[in-house]
Amino acid sequence: MPGTYEDETREVESSGSAARSGLPASRPAIALSYVILLVGVAIALVPFLYVVSTSLKETTSLFSYPPDWIPSPIYWGNFESLFADHPFVRWTFNTLFVAGAVTVLKLWFDTMAGYALAKMEFTGRRGVALLFLLSVAIPISALIIPLFFVVRYLGLLNTYWALILPPLANPLGIFMARSFIVGIPDNLEDSARLDGASEFTIYRKIVLPLIRPGLVVLGMFTFMLQYTSFIWPLIAVQDSERQVLAVGISGLQSAFLQDWGLLSAAMLLAAIPITLVFLLVQKAFVVNDLSGALKE
Amino acid sequence: MPALSSPSDVAVSLIQVAKSYGAVEVLQPFDLQVAEGEFVVLLGPSGCGKSTILKMIAGLEEASHGEIHVAGELVNYVRPRYRNVAMVFQNYALYPHMTVRENIAFPLKMSRQPRLRRAVIEERTAEAADIVDLTPYLDRKPAQLSGGQRQRVALARAIVRQPAVFLMDEPLSNLDALLRADMRTSLLDVHSRIKKATLYVTHDQIEAMTMADRVVVINAGRIQQIGQPHELYTAPANTFVAQFIGSPRMPLHSLTVSDDGALRIADATLALDAAVVLEPEATVTVGLRPSALRATDSASACFFGEARRRDYLGSDSYLEVDLGGGSSAMVRAEADTDVRPGDIVHVDAAPGAIHVFDEAGVRICGASVGQRER
Repeated sequence: MPGTYEDETREVESSGSAARSGLPASRPAIALSYVILLVGVAIALVPFLYVVSTSLKETTSLFSYPPDWIPSPIYWGNFESLFADHPFVRWTFNTLFVAGAVTVLKLWFDTMAGYALAKMEFTGRRGVALLFLLSVAIPISALIIPLFFVVRYLGLLNTYWALILPPLANPLGIFMARSFIVGIPDNLEDSARLDGASEFTIYRKIVLPLIRPGLVVLGMFTFMLQYTSFIWPLIAVQDSERQVLAVGISGLQSAFLQDWGLLSAAMLLAAIPITLVFLLVQKAFVVNDLSGALKE
Repeated sequence: MPALSSPSDVAVSLIQVAKSYGAVEVLQPFDLQVAEGEFVVLLGPSGCGKSTILKMIAGLEEASHGEIHVAGELVNYVRPRYRNVAMVFQNYALYPHMTVRENIAFPLKMSRQPRLRRAVIEERTAEAADIVDLTPYLDRKPAQLSGGQRQRVALARAIVRQPAVFLMDEPLSNLDALLRADMRTSLLDVHSRIKKATLYVTHDQIEAMTMADRVVVINAGRIQQIGQPHELYTAPANTFVAQFIGSPRMPLHSLTVSDDGALRIADATLALDAAVVLEPEATVTVGLRPSALRATDSASACFFGEARRRDYLGSDSYLEVDLGGGSSAMVRAEADTDVRPGDIVHVDAAPGAIHVFDEAGVRICGASVGQRER
């Protein structure tokens, strides 16, 4: 008997689900995509796992062949040495403090400047914007020497100020903030203005809440850039007590000795705070929601 | 219409106000006074400058010339927040991150008066929400409301401030027709309860005619006429007003006055309502108000001609009738009229049906059909 009622039903259901998914279910294609993804994951993950493995081994056992991926026994000496022989905690605090301060101040200044450039009418607005844009094009390497002299002249070398103030002058954030703010309809500000809000209140109560997702991106971007910043902190601060992680870790190696185990342990620990920060703020990465503000 | 008896009755006074952007003059100098409690509609096509007038009163645009007085005070150089005006924007302009309650309370929290107590703010917010029937929605965000509800939030936010003047910039223009009619009624209801001077911008003549105490008709930056809806309809100041007000649009015909000073349209001689003498050979424009022309069976009607087209509107039908001599008219008929294109139609003209304008389009007077030759 060709095809019972149940068979027909099953056929209809399966063709229905294929139609719903909109994709032909080709098993080899799916398998291939998994293989490609796994290779990608491996490329990203293997170096990290190697660093983990290295951090838990004595440097002398690093060069055994074939390499041991899983250290046996687990060696904690690299971590102990980091805390006992080097001011690793201090470096971490310095880095978090500087990166945090720069991020907060930059978000504040950049959004205020971005608001002015996006929404306020004043003479020379285009000129100011152009000047900022031009300064984005100047490479950091061209700025370092004059910056060093300025900071030395101000007597700020070897202070936190030397690490915090110069990054604030980077205008890239202003342009990012401006582009977020330009998207807010003028009517919202006009309405707030008529409701009695001052320019600063409009900025604080209307503009900032509406660009929050953008601010999170800008904040993360600034924090990460500052967390991994190397060249300027290397030049501006010689005092080990003011040193940041990137500079401190690079100082763990010398011309004659590469203690890979120690370096790996330091890098592993250095990655923890920024990973935590990222995990904490990732919920705030949501689409900017202006729905309901205006007539669609 | 409330009478403008003394300066203290005037809520808004615009004296020789003009606006230009560089060399481009967007509003020519004009005067306008709005009385306390009066509902004035600024009516005109898009881009005519009507919203600019509101923005100048609100302080969002600077007047290039003239004086703006709100509640008797010169406000040209006063910041928007100190002008004691509230504005409802065309596109709501609600704060999307705040609830309805927070949106309505915002102006009170921003108040420059000695800090309002929380209880007062709550009471006034609830009162404003009640006026516009929003009480059940106070804890919702704007995105969770319908278009009409959002517009009511915007209205409540304006009401809560208890301003001297309300400015409304096409507040209903994006609502669907049914909701618009409802909101029109609600707005008038609110207006009659709070009795504050209101300037209302629209390009919709029905809105203007149904809501206004007075209408200001504007075109291309120039005030065309200020008057009560009835005045605009029965005595339009010029051809623009005549065509802009009323539906269907009034057809205009350019006619030459005959040697004996008579004005003839088709086979009918017009009798002017006023003691005006037209110069022979002068060119005038005659407009025939469609709603005042009626298809009739009477052979002694004012005009007759061949029906060209029939527009069915439900309550009525309108016939396009060729009157001969290059003139045509839109004529009102019964909705179920059996007249078909090609039929001969007799047309009666009610008083106020015929308007005569000079060559520049300025109204001379009304007219009626004096005599028919055939």
